[in-house]
Amino acid sequence: MLELRLVQGSLLKKVLEAVKDLVNDANFDCSATGFSLQAMDSSHVALVALLLRSEGFEHYRCDRNISMGMNLGNMAKMLKCAGNDDIITLKADDGSDVVTFMFESPTQDKIADFEMKLMDIDSEHLGIPEAEYHAIVRMPSSEFARICKDLSSIGDTVVISVTKEGVKFSTRGDIGTANIVCRQNTTVDKPEEATVIEMNEPVSLTFALRYFNSFTKATPLSNTVTLSLSSELPVVVEYKIAEMGYIRFYLAPKIEDDDEDAKP
Amino acid sequence: MARTEKKALIFSCGFRFAGSDRFPSEKDMAEIETLGILDEIQSIVSDKLQVVSYKWLSRNFLVSSNTAKRLLQEFVEKYGDGLEVIYSLSGWIKNNPSTYHIRLVSKHKLSDAKQEFDGDCSVQVYSIQACLPKDPATLWNHEFVQAEYLFKQPPTLDNCLLDNRFCGVSSSFIKRIGGEAPLGTAHQTMAIPQLPAKKVQQSSPNAGIDFTRAVKTESHVKVDRDPGVKLAAGKEKVPLILPNKKGQSDKSSSGNGSALASMWASAEAQICARESVDYGSSEEDGEDFNVKRTSNGEGGRKRRVVFDYSDDEDEYRDAVSLSSPDPPKKSSLCNSSFEEKENEPKINEVKQEDVEKVSAMNKGKKNESPTLDKPQSPVLEIDASVKGKVTDAVPKRRKVFKTRTDERGREVTEVVWEGEEPDAKRDSNSAKTAENKTAKSESISAKTAENDLVKSESNSGKTAESNPVVKNATSRAPVAKKSPAVGNTAAANKGGRGGNKKAVNKDPKQGNILSFFKKS
Repeated sequence: MLELRLVQGSLLKKVLEAVKDLVNDANFDCSATGFSLQAMDSSHVALVALLLRSEGFEHYRCDRNISMGMNLGNMAKMLKCAGNDDIITLKADDGSDVVTFMFESPTQDKIADFEMKLMDIDSEHLGIPEAEYHAIVRMPSSEFARICKDLSSIGDTVVISVTKEGVKFSTRGDIGTANIVCRQNTTVDKPEEATVIEMNEPVSLTFALRYFNSFTKATPLSNTVTLSLSSELPVVVEYKIAEMGYIRFYLAPKIEDDDEDAKP
Repeated sequence: MARTEKKALIFSCGFRFAGSDRFPSEKDMAEIETLGILDEIQSIVSDKLQVVSYKWLSRNFLVSSNTAKRLLQEFVEKYGDGLEVIYSLSGWIKNNPSTYHIRLVSKHKLSDAKQEFDGDCSVQVYSIQACLPKDPATLWNHEFVQAEYLFKQPPTLDNCLLDNRFCGVSSSFIKRIGGEAPLGTAHQTMAIPQLPAKKVQQSSPNAGIDFTRAVKTESHVKVDRDPGVKLAAGKEKVPLILPNKKGQSDKSSSGNGSALASMWASAEAQICARESVDYGSSEEDGEDFNVKRTSNGEGGRKRRVVFDYSDDEDEYRDAVSLSSPDPPKKSSLCNSSFEEKENEPKINEVKQEDVEKVSAMNKGKKNESPTLDKPQSPVLEIDASVKGKVTDAVPKRRKVFKTRTDERGREVTEVVWEGEEPDAKRDSNSAKTAENKTAKSESISAKTAENDLVKSESNSGKTAESNPVVKNATSRAPVAKKSPAVGNTAAANKGGRGGNKKAVNKDPKQGNILSFFKKS
């Protein structure tokens, strides 16, 4: 028996919007600690890890660990039927092959039940080691989204270079090049507007921009985004979900060209 | 602004006498103008959706600020239904009897706000508008624009701010010669005999002088000011002081307060003013004023450049804090751009080092086929360092380079997944997964690659068939073989790519997440 009641239903809606473009099908894992998801995109270049801790739910009941395979597109369709203020309750019985989404309007005068079929998804769970990153950049999520969007209109890849003074996003395309430098900036009105750079050593990595652009679909979940970079590891793009957990995107870097000319 | 200009001109020819000599009584003015002005207000408020404050009204229609207030009051009584009204309340606050408060409140909060005052408080219309603005700054925006315009007028042109004609505070020591006269400042008030603030406050709005000079009695005002301008006002030259300033000093509504306050003064002006307030004499003030004026002109701080005629200390404080952040920002910008420049080379260096590192790692392969676009996975180091047989990060399978010499004497390097049988099995089982799809396309692309190879190399076709993943590293014709694979089609790319990864990426350089994380 599984029953999760989330007062802030819009949060689940946003989570789905953030993930569904990257991953088609995924297993949601429920345990006593929380509601989580880990999935790779179809090209196995990016990985998304979501955690919503049980404390964040108004009511959380999970008798035994359960893994529910869902088509995220379909789930998003169902969640779109929920109002932004609605309370969303997820229910599943043991051994059942359906999951029920219940949407209650804040005034309790409307209650909707949506039942969705579950699917068997053969997915591998990857162990993600805790790692020390060379550089951690925290910046306003909207700023990051803007940068990714802008750069993707110029080129396909972005080089993220972090130095003490700032983080530089650069791209190159047929029409020209673009460089955006965000400097450490902590003198702001609101803490979430700050750009904070913690760096042990300078890092420079290349990534495919289109993945970043799908990561930034998570922007509504958080005011800030954290980029953790190490030269031998995938970048981690993390959006904290207030009082609930996080959604993290891992993206494998592209290998730096050592000879540009080899590329046509 | 056109309106203001027109009015100002009219004024300069028509009403000059009034300002220089003596006010026409407010009553007269009001009677003359009331009807027309009320109509105009109507159209401004409801059609242009502009905020009409008494200050704006006073300057725009060249009426004294008290008349302006009364006009607004009349207007509210007549047409006030669909309007939002902001009142300015002033009086002694109950909680803290030592402070004198001036507060702007909207009409539906009026009665509540009145309760907070001790005894009577003066209630005047501050402004009327179609709707309550989200940003309180909207309240003073039009005033500001207007004041800025007036200040920018050449000193030869007469305008109501220049000769301070609507101000209730005047000093007989200030001489004005036309428009060029040294301008009086707020501090002139110091010369004026003092009256207890409370009295003034209690005089009715129409009495002509309840000018909020009373503000001065606020606890944090250092210099005892004279609210009782009334006496002086009657006399003659009206010093430049803007007729009224109201409600800016309410500390409790600091949001409003600071925004409003900034209209009164630029930071410099305020600082100067403050200093001069401390020192005191009105002559000095006059000098100060001129200095301020020029610096204002040069400063180019368009938004906040307003002469400070105010003597309300509280305002200074607010406005200073508003303005002061500017200079540091600028300087930090400069600094940072320097830093950036210094920074640049570092990044480059780092990159180069990286590149060197990578190429060093690649050497094993690379020296054989320098231009060959090898699959470079993030596990490259491992590949390179143990060229031949290497274990991938993924435990179940191993990626192995096999190099052999074919019958034609060329060296062929193959990348083979060892222990791939279980993998293959699983792939076939999980028909749904994307992996499988990619596996398929892999084999297709492998075939494409195969064809390419066949053309140049008869034997490599076989290799390609026997191993789903083939990397050809012959030293003879690498470019010929490789370039179609990299450049032409996605399929070909996939073929090249497939060498390292189970999943297929379009881009041969894209790393794979599976290279980093182990399956658990």
